[in-house]
Amino acid sequence: MTVNFSVKKWSGWLDLSQSVSGVMLAVFLWTHLVLVSSILLGADAMSWVARTMELSFLSADGHGYPWVVTLIAIAIAVLASIHVLVALQKLPMSLAQQKALRLQMQTINHGDTRLWRWQAITGVIILLLLPVHLWLIGSAPETIGPYGSADRIWNQGVWLVYLPLLFTVELHAAIGIYRVALKWGAARDLNTRERMKKIKTVVSVIFILIGVASLLAFLPYAN
Amino acid sequence: MKLIYTDSLVVGAGLAGLRVAIASKERGLDTVVLSLIPAKRSHSAAAQGGMQASLGNAVKGMGDDEDVHFQDTVKGSDWGCDQDVARMFAHCAPKAVRELTNWGVPWSRVTKGPRDVIVNAEKVTLHEAEEAHGLINARDFGGTKKWRTCYTADGTGHSLLYAMDNKAISMDIPVHERVEALALIHDGQRCHGVIARCLITGELRAYVAKSTTIATGGYGRIYEVSTNAIICEGIGQALALETGVATLGNMEAVQFHPTAIVPVGILTTEGCRGDGGLLRDKDGYRFMPDYEPEKKELASRDVVSRRMTEHMRKGKGVDSPYGPHLWLDITLLGRKHIETNLREVQEICENFLGIDPAKDWIPVRPTQHYSMGGIRTNATGESPQLKGLFSVGEAACWDMHGFNRLGGNSLAETVVGGMIIGKYVADFCQNNSLEIDTKLAEQFMHKVQAEIDELVEGDGTESAFAIKREMQQIMMDYVGIFRNGPELDKAVAELKVLLTRSGQLGLKCKKRHANPELVEALRVKRMLKVALTVASGAAARTESRGAHAREDYPQRNDRDWLKRTLASWPDANALEPTLSYEDLDVMKMELPPGYRGYGINNAIVHPDTEKREQQIAEILKELGDDADRYQKQWALMPFELPESLRPKNERLSDTLVRPTSTDLGEESTGEQAL
Amino acid sequence: MTQGRTLTFNIFRYDPQEANDKPKMVQYQIAETPGMTVFIALNKLREEQDTSLQFDFVCRAGICGSCAMVINGFPTLACRTLTAKYPKGEITLMPLPGFELIGDLSVNTGKFMRELAERLQLWLHPKSDDIDVHRLEDPMDPEEAARLYELERCVECGVCVSACATKQMRDTFVGAVGMMKIARFEMDSRDGRTAEDFYHVIGNQDGVFGCMTLLGCQDNCPKDLPHMQQIAYLRRKMAMTLV
Repeated sequence: MTVNFSVKKWSGWLDLSQSVSGVMLAVFLWTHLVLVSSILLGADAMSWVARTMELSFLSADGHGYPWVVTLIAIAIAVLASIHVLVALQKLPMSLAQQKALRLQMQTINHGDTRLWRWQAITGVIILLLLPVHLWLIGSAPETIGPYGSADRIWNQGVWLVYLPLLFTVELHAAIGIYRVALKWGAARDLNTRERMKKIKTVVSVIFILIGVASLLAFLPYAN
Repeated sequence: MKLIYTDSLVVGAGLAGLRVAIASKERGLDTVVLSLIPAKRSHSAAAQGGMQASLGNAVKGMGDDEDVHFQDTVKGSDWGCDQDVARMFAHCAPKAVRELTNWGVPWSRVTKGPRDVIVNAEKVTLHEAEEAHGLINARDFGGTKKWRTCYTADGTGHSLLYAMDNKAISMDIPVHERVEALALIHDGQRCHGVIARCLITGELRAYVAKSTTIATGGYGRIYEVSTNAIICEGIGQALALETGVATLGNMEAVQFHPTAIVPVGILTTEGCRGDGGLLRDKDGYRFMPDYEPEKKELASRDVVSRRMTEHMRKGKGVDSPYGPHLWLDITLLGRKHIETNLREVQEICENFLGIDPAKDWIPVRPTQHYSMGGIRTNATGESPQLKGLFSVGEAACWDMHGFNRLGGNSLAETVVGGMIIGKYVADFCQNNSLEIDTKLAEQFMHKVQAEIDELVEGDGTESAFAIKREMQQIMMDYVGIFRNGPELDKAVAELKVLLTRSGQLGLKCKKRHANPELVEALRVKRMLKVALTVASGAAARTESRGAHAREDYPQRNDRDWLKRTLASWPDANALEPTLSYEDLDVMKMELPPGYRGYGINNAIVHPDTEKREQQIAEILKELGDDADRYQKQWALMPFELPESLRPKNERLSDTLVRPTSTDLGEESTGEQAL
Repeated sequence: MTQGRTLTFNIFRYDPQEANDKPKMVQYQIAETPGMTVFIALNKLREEQDTSLQFDFVCRAGICGSCAMVINGFPTLACRTLTAKYPKGEITLMPLPGFELIGDLSVNTGKFMRELAERLQLWLHPKSDDIDVHRLEDPMDPEEAARLYELERCVECGVCVSACATKQMRDTFVGAVGMMKIARFEMDSRDGRTAEDFYHVIGNQDGVFGCMTLLGCQDNCPKDLPHMQQIAYLRRKMAMTLV
């Protein structure tokens, strides 16, 4: 089997890479959130998670290599950029397209199309907020930990970025995974689709709750 | 004046019209099709059940051939058909089915081994032959001796039309959509094309062509309730009638389908009964076996419709705000069968009645369904009076249906007739040159223009909508399933009054472009003339034959009425058509008139019948026992066909060792053999 | 069945051929009758109140696909929409978006479908052209025939096109109707085209890879065709040609 990279097939590759990058980002996102939520178990738990992420078990002094986090941040930035670049061509870029979309959505009542519009809107917001997050983390990986993070979030006011980012990213990811599943044929019938749609909503809600709880859990460490 | 020239002009983009267009294009002729609507929306799409062709693949179709199909068709027509044409048709039907396979029709196929079917309200297991696996299947339809109706679930017409139109698109045949033909350009001897109006812009165009083929379907909408699409208004027949030269044949032969839903008149296919559905009355009683012990629900359509009407007249109908009706019960077929093979029926029941046909009975009533009559043509599809004018499909009286059409023979006629006549049309175009007489075209254009001017600018006050409704009511009340002299006379008289009134039409909407009221006004005058040919023909025909049932003349009268009614309208200002008659020659018939197998045999015999029967016996005797069925047939009634359609049809039974009679299961109860 | 109600219709009116006409909504009142459909109501309105009202009906039985329009926000076939379905008795009718408007509720779906068929070559390309119609036909798997018919049930009503936001934004997008038909021919064992051939037609931004799986097609199709599954099937099939 040879991989066929012919230029004629770029749109196939684009579509595929949008799906794949999206799934990878979503998986990372959810893992990331679970890891961060370790703060709910206390400062020690989170410190251990942060250390382990920095591969502390490999270093002699047990402090690990903070640049690993920087690498992860860069990798996510690259992945997200690919995702954005491929997704952009699906968005209504011209005024005429936006007008056509508005007219259609005014005339026709359709739930999944509204979902997609939410995804587009959240996508644009994420595009603005995510670089801030990645820069903050990637440029100062050593500060990650119960106290450093708490200071950043609550004393430096970064919660103003994180809270909206949390909401948008969780909506975007769950809707995205739902759509990717349908797109490649995971739902064999309409009942399965209905179930998947419900699961998608539940996933969004659960992760937003976990996220908000985690943000609040940092509060005690901020002073 | 906008003039468009072409070789082969076809009016109507249903199956028949498209097939003729394809035949023309295959010969490299320039071809244009005119249509009121996009081709794929044509009424052909509504044919659900299937088309008859004697393939004989399914076990219940074994032993079928052209001879059996021919006999069923002739008997079904109550001997009113043209037997040459019925022969041409039966011979080419298998070819048309096979051709359509290659154009994309996903015919339902035979699955080898046992399968359960419902026959006469009982479950029967049929065993399909190993060799038949994957070949085209067939289902049972009324009035046929064998299971012969090829189908794709219950969307056969839809599948055929889509395949046909796709073929036309692949050949780059232009279809001028939303264009309505309003007059034929002719000089009294030769037809030169049509004057047509664009329904969007209102522009009038002259289409000048070597051949003009009218394939506009039937005239069901002259009735108030009809299974027909609302565009089946008989305008094609009116175009021919208004030439004053061309004739319409057997216009009084109008078929009523037994099972259209009440009140809207949408059809549920004969396949419902073919697959085992039953008719029940208000007590839930299955009444058809009492009237027709042999064929029961699967007697010919005209017979079932009359029996249902009779039964309702006895007070056995179910009362409803829309008058009495009966029940069609397909619950016994089971949900799976309904959801796969009767999907459209299911959808119709859900959407228009709010019922589930797998659980509930369907309210049905006989309803106007098919026009056996139409533009009279000879066997090549050409008008005997106007050279270059062809007609095909339901629009025509090619006359393979006579006074009653068998279920599954109309869809078949469109593609088989189109196949045969298409070749004759192409021959005509190749053998004749385009005669362009712009003066003549202009003259007709002015006439149509004047008609429109009068409607838009005149001071008439009559409403086109109101007149149409009155006409439809008259046809319903007096020219229905059972007819009688006084009512038919009344119908003629009242229609004449309406025709006079239609000279005073006035429009509220004065637009000259897209204007539905103008379209209605232009049509209603033409429809009235068509309605008058139906009513006058029915009033004049003092016998009962096929779908034409006279209460005051209940006998089929071969002695006086073995003839075709021809209607023409030579005087444009006259209020009724001129009727004449064309004898059917018994001495040339392969199958002389006989007993059709329903009710009592009370036909008044034609004097030639006995003579011809003796003659046939002698011919067959002379041929001896060695003669095969083709030789026998040829000796009795040789028929014409284009060279390429002559070869014999291969069948599975040619190579397959005949299964024994026990394998065959119960013999299908067909129309009784002679 | 509701009886005795007065229905209010809000109908989009516009005649693009009238120089001074502007799009507007016009209100009509009509007495409801038992079993009334939008088809019956519109014809009554035309006969009794406004003879210039434009709309398209042909079979009036849900078979031909002529009469699709947007009814209270949902694109569907008007002929089989019962007015009793709307408890408030208010019915808003709009023409299908995304098609050339002929006038009022009438749009030119026919022209659209013909152009699409020509562009995507939506007809069977038989493996061999020289079939002999006098001979026994080639057998076909009965299951395959049944599957093909399922996809053949499309009536080209245009609902999927109007319900697709992608199509509205990108004019060149083939829409569900095009992809469904391609899927139908792709599945047909009689068709000689290969996956590569189909890739050239729909393996691009205007085809399966431009579809965003909004599923307006699936959710509004009056024939309940399996758009979701079929388009996913095609996408997988086309993606397979990448490797």
